[in-house]
Amino acid sequence: MNLQLFALAFFDGIAYAALVFLVAVGLTLIFGVLRVLNVAHGSFYAMGAYATASTVGAIVAAGYSPWLAFPMMIIASALIGGLIGGPVEKLLLRRIYDMEEVLQILVTFAVFMILEDVQRLVWGVQPYFESSALMVLGTVDVLGITYTAYQLILLPVVAILVLVGLRIFLRHTLSGKLILAVTEDREAATAIGVNVDRVYLVTFVVGASLAAFGGALASATTSVIPGMGADMIVLSFAVVATAGLGRIEGAAITALLIGLGRSFAVYLAPELDVLVPYLIMLAVLLVRPEGLFGMAHTRKI
Amino acid sequence: MLEFRDVTVTLGGVRVLRDVSFLINTSDTVALIGANGAGKTTTLRSIMGFTHMTGEIRFLREDITKLPPAKRPGLGIGYAAEDRRLFSAFTVEENILMPAQVARLTAQETTRRLGRVYTILPELKEMAGRPAGSVSGGQGKMVALGRALMIGTRLIMLDEPFQGLAPALARRYAEALRTLRDHDPDVTLIITESNPGLLRRFADRALVVERGEMREGSLAEDAPDPLHPASPATTP
Ligand SMILES: Nc1ncnc2c1ncn2[C@@H]1O[C@H](COP(=O)(O)OP(=O)(O)O)[C@@H](O)[C@H]1O
Ligand SMILES: [Mg+2]
Repeated sequence: MNLQLFALAFFDGIAYAALVFLVAVGLTLIFGVLRVLNVAHGSFYAMGAYATASTVGAIVAAGYSPWLAFPMMIIASALIGGLIGGPVEKLLLRRIYDMEEVLQILVTFAVFMILEDVQRLVWGVQPYFESSALMVLGTVDVLGITYTAYQLILLPVVAILVLVGLRIFLRHTLSGKLILAVTEDREAATAIGVNVDRVYLVTFVVGASLAAFGGALASATTSVIPGMGADMIVLSFAVVATAGLGRIEGAAITALLIGLGRSFAVYLAPELDVLVPYLIMLAVLLVRPEGLFGMAHTRKI
Repeated sequence: MLEFRDVTVTLGGVRVLRDVSFLINTSDTVALIGANGAGKTTTLRSIMGFTHMTGEIRFLREDITKLPPAKRPGLGIGYAAEDRRLFSAFTVEENILMPAQVARLTAQETTRRLGRVYTILPELKEMAGRPAGSVSGGQGKMVALGRALMIGTRLIMLDEPFQGLAPALARRYAEALRTLRDHDPDVTLIITESNPGLLRRFADRALVVERGEMREGSLAEDAPDPLHPASPATTP
């Protein structure tokens, strides 16, 4: 493998890891508070992508500036998280918190299927491709390779900003502190007056918006097609399980590990590329069943 | 100020409390005595709204049976659970302040209450900046007491506070409770304990829970140990 191929695999991996991180961190945040493995999380990724690709396409076709794609991504993800994520938690998931895990996963899987149909209904089955945001940022030359600034610079920077922003939100705002408190001990939080129902809702909307934001950013780099949500949920499950459930910084490092692992596999052993994330997960979990950053003891629910 | 009327709690198919009724008056210091597994924690958790129960619980003459658990601390009820249950992501002081933030108290009221906590538990001031995850088990119980004092303006419930405390810390804890009494004569205290001897000196009333039933007990020095009545073997 020469230097250029190495660099190419490295850049691909970082760009991919940034997207995976956004989705996985939302998933881990939701799991930490709700204690539900939310299969429907992938739908928010897909809907964020569809909503962004379709609206940006319309904006650009109407002759407006392609720079509008960036604010559109944020607006689309907040709307998907709030208008779809909010009701999903309040009307559906709220009923299943006392159920057995297997039933919970089945219910979130049903939500996933329903949201897949909603996507088909709203956006049809034809692919959307809308890369104005990618084009408008141009390219950069590094190590003799020409790479898009969008993927090489914007995506990693956004991922780091989200990581730092999330940390500040969780540690220094009241809503964030309450999320951490409920994650650690639901009953002790209630005993100091925390309205756990509201914390669940806020967490779910934030987590779903992060997944939608991952999809919004991804939409500029790839065709938006049916089934993209399923691919992403499986991958972010791998990240979250490898990192240890409920760990935010761990999700970032693990996303990087799995993103890089996958993109190097594309160049070195293409037949393994889809398998690599799971091989990494398997290897980690065999050695550390609680995950790379998980705590050895199980927390009380 | 607190009344149980025919409270029955069933946990995992077992009736842990059976038709329990009692009345506690304002400014009482009540020792809730019972062996391990008798139902002390279940009694306190029912007051917090954490159990499925039948019957009625009244607080300050209001029926609170159906009041959502998150609204109960706002009535002035502070609860320190059996295990210390601090939030390890935050400092000791952040843990103590959190109930005030949740209740959206004014800065002035928050400062006043924090001052009260530090008057009663001056040692907390020294560890204010430490991560709550790093304090020892005994110190953690002090922090949990401080956090309960922050909201417990009317009723403070402490679940086996002396359990696992080193003797010196246990004395310190008892001293803090006496300071609280002097400082705040109107607050009502419920302290659970499996060893009644420990509470003899500052409780003024004992409730004994045994096999799911609650009865009045005595704390007098010469009273028989309510849990271990003198064995009849000594009679000739
Ligand atoms: N979640 C539960 N499911 C079934 N039984 C329980 C549960 N929690 C407590 N118990 C039982 O209820 C009884 C009373 O428990 P508890 O109130 O914790 O007692 P204490 O605090 O007096 O030691 C015990 O026998 C215990 O085994
Ligand atoms: Mg107990």
